[in-house]
Amino acid sequence: MGRLHLKEIKSISYEHADVKKGYTDQSLRINLDATDIIITPIEEKVKKTFIGGKGYDLWMMWNAVSGSTKWNDPENAICISSGPLGGTPGYPGGGKSIVTSISPLTGAPIDSNVGGYFGPYKKFSGFDVIQVDGKAKKDTIIFIDGIENTITLFESENLPTDAYELSDILTRHFDKDKPINVSVVTTGPGAANTFFGCLNFSWWDAGRKRVRYKQAGRGGIGTVFADKKIKAIVARCGTISMKTNNPADFEGLKRVTKTHAKEIHDLDPKQNRMSLVGTTHLVPIMNDHDCLPVHNFKFGSHPESRVIGEETYEHLFDKGFDGCWKGCTVACSHGVKDFSPVTGPYRGQTVFVDGPEYETIAGCGANLGIFDAHTILEINFYCDAYGLDTISVGTSLGFVMECFENNLITTKHTGGMALNFGNRFNALTLIHQMATGEGFGAIIGKGVRRMKAIFAQEFGADMAFMQDIGMESKGLEFSEYITKESLAQQGGYGLALKGPQHDEAWLIFLDMVHNFMPTFENKAEALHWFPMFRTWFGLCGLCKLPWNDIVPEDNKTMPEPAKVAKHVGWYADFFSAVTGRKTGPDDLISMSESVYNFQRVFNLKMGFGTREYDTLPYRAMGPVTVEEYESRQERYDKQLKEKYGLQITDMSAKEKVAVLRQKREEQYELLKDAVYERRGWNNNGIPTLETIQRLGIDFPDVVELLKKNGAT
Amino acid sequence: MIKVDDKQLPWSENMTLSSVLKTLDSVDLCAVVRLNGKLVSSPNFDKTPIENNAEIQLLPLVAGG
Repeated sequence: MGRLHLKEIKSISYEHADVKKGYTDQSLRINLDATDIIITPIEEKVKKTFIGGKGYDLWMMWNAVSGSTKWNDPENAICISSGPLGGTPGYPGGGKSIVTSISPLTGAPIDSNVGGYFGPYKKFSGFDVIQVDGKAKKDTIIFIDGIENTITLFESENLPTDAYELSDILTRHFDKDKPINVSVVTTGPGAANTFFGCLNFSWWDAGRKRVRYKQAGRGGIGTVFADKKIKAIVARCGTISMKTNNPADFEGLKRVTKTHAKEIHDLDPKQNRMSLVGTTHLVPIMNDHDCLPVHNFKFGSHPESRVIGEETYEHLFDKGFDGCWKGCTVACSHGVKDFSPVTGPYRGQTVFVDGPEYETIAGCGANLGIFDAHTILEINFYCDAYGLDTISVGTSLGFVMECFENNLITTKHTGGMALNFGNRFNALTLIHQMATGEGFGAIIGKGVRRMKAIFAQEFGADMAFMQDIGMESKGLEFSEYITKESLAQQGGYGLALKGPQHDEAWLIFLDMVHNFMPTFENKAEALHWFPMFRTWFGLCGLCKLPWNDIVPEDNKTMPEPAKVAKHVGWYADFFSAVTGRKTGPDDLISMSESVYNFQRVFNLKMGFGTREYDTLPYRAMGPVTVEEYESRQERYDKQLKEKYGLQITDMSAKEKVAVLRQKREEQYELLKDAVYERRGWNNNGIPTLETIQRLGIDFPDVVELLKKNGAT
Repeated sequence: MIKVDDKQLPWSENMTLSSVLKTLDSVDLCAVVRLNGKLVSSPNFDKTPIENNAEIQLLPLVAGG
């Protein structure tokens, strides 16, 4: 088995569970303390209530942790699940994994949706969900071999520390003849030295004959992984076809798969061209609409942003098939070959960079005042290799740069580095420091929330100002959109269960550009429907891009075009065909609602999940400083006069900032009221007993917890 | 003539993206187009002139990342 020498510490053979209608109905638990490998049937009630994917993960987590469990306690678990539809070759976006853990950044459950082949390979090896808990004494590799039907734990020494090299070596080691049979989950050295470590999920790119990666980035699950001394989790699986899920209605599955795949194939070239440019088209679009974060979310556009958008990256991306799942026609996982870093351990070598996507460009480029496509590539590469979440890295560095420019921190604190916006080499130096846990980078790796406390307590920085400009909520760094002019998207971030990530709701254009939701009730309805539908992708092992980034040509004539009703119907058909459960579009919302509310209750269990935690830094709502106000003075003056009926002639800029703030903060609180009511929660943001009964999640411990927190 | 998606339309002098869109149905959610392959966003529609033989593709509602 190759040239590596791994020490086997435990191995079991198991009876392969056939997949039936998308499910194996088995879970796999690996406890690293006792090196236990436990296979357990999944009950029908759990299957019906939690569906799969994130739902299964959260149920396993709920039973693994107590309300006092911290991220680095042994009982904290990492759960990975695909979902009943996951692993359907040819269905666009049909191969996702959902990963959960208690987050080092938030202290609450975090979930991250990621491509690569691991989720389907694990399922087809016999397990709908895996849970890893405990802590290993030495670096450990978990190998799930779905071909030989064995599960083996290895101790490892002297393996590469970075994900870039490690995944490649392990892929070739565990199936040197058919590396396409292997998918590896790894992290890198930065995960052990920061709180925002990511996981890299691999697949073998047969065309380029190399390992490729996608990241489960958010919330520091890579940090938990490193803390448990997990070096890698490897799944090996043989040939997969559309029949491998053993669907209830094979002809129906073929039909809907072919229909959706053909539409993507035909229309993507006419629409966003994601198969050529990925999500880089969003850079100029966000810039033009004043939604691209620039200088720590202070501004929404910059004249130089054109050089870091699709026009540049289309030429840099290597041509070839870039699907992170077999046969996906969106195929948006582009990369750059023969890139030569100018800093760090790979300086002067040629590497393949998996990315960048919009979030990385916006967060590690525009937000830092870095308008250089090659620097962004280098940041992208090292973040992946080091196991760092590019979103948290970008948002944390932006915060630090603004603190530096405002003299809240100085070269005395930064190890002599000037950290003005645009200082690309020092930004890279800090990322290398995050990887090793050295220098000022070690402080940045703690994330924005902890940095605020350190800067205030140890450096005497102004806490109130940092609360306004530190782009975190619930402890998680913001993803990369300016929300100042969209109250609905402020809710999309502030009310998101795990923190400000846009995968629950992305309503900026509907709200800000098209004014489709003028009332609080309209916004609340959107902040119900969209999070519920988007949650459904995470239950089933799917990607959301094929739903609304490529749409039917007649979609614009539909009554509610933002919902892309035709595609929702196809997803219901997809679910029916695989699982045999006759399902309509409304059923998809019901499925999600149970899991969504369960996650809200889970937050409550961990000491959060109430109104006081659904807060935002003011910069997400409006201009913090006079400089910001004056940069868009015409817009803000008009709002004060026309929307709020104020006489502003005699007001100073500072007074206008203050009064606008008061108005916007009031609006946000009113939005919370409306959303809580629509979701069936009380005024403190807690699901009512009636809501959890309706959704079938009124388990005794849930009811007890809610009653203890005043729910009726 | 200009081409909007698959439809041919007559070109006229002083034509802008805004004036073209005003002649079309169901463009309420159109915030971005491709004009001769380049992205143009709604804040720039008024000031974007349309040359004869231009090709315009209407992009769907922007849906975020």
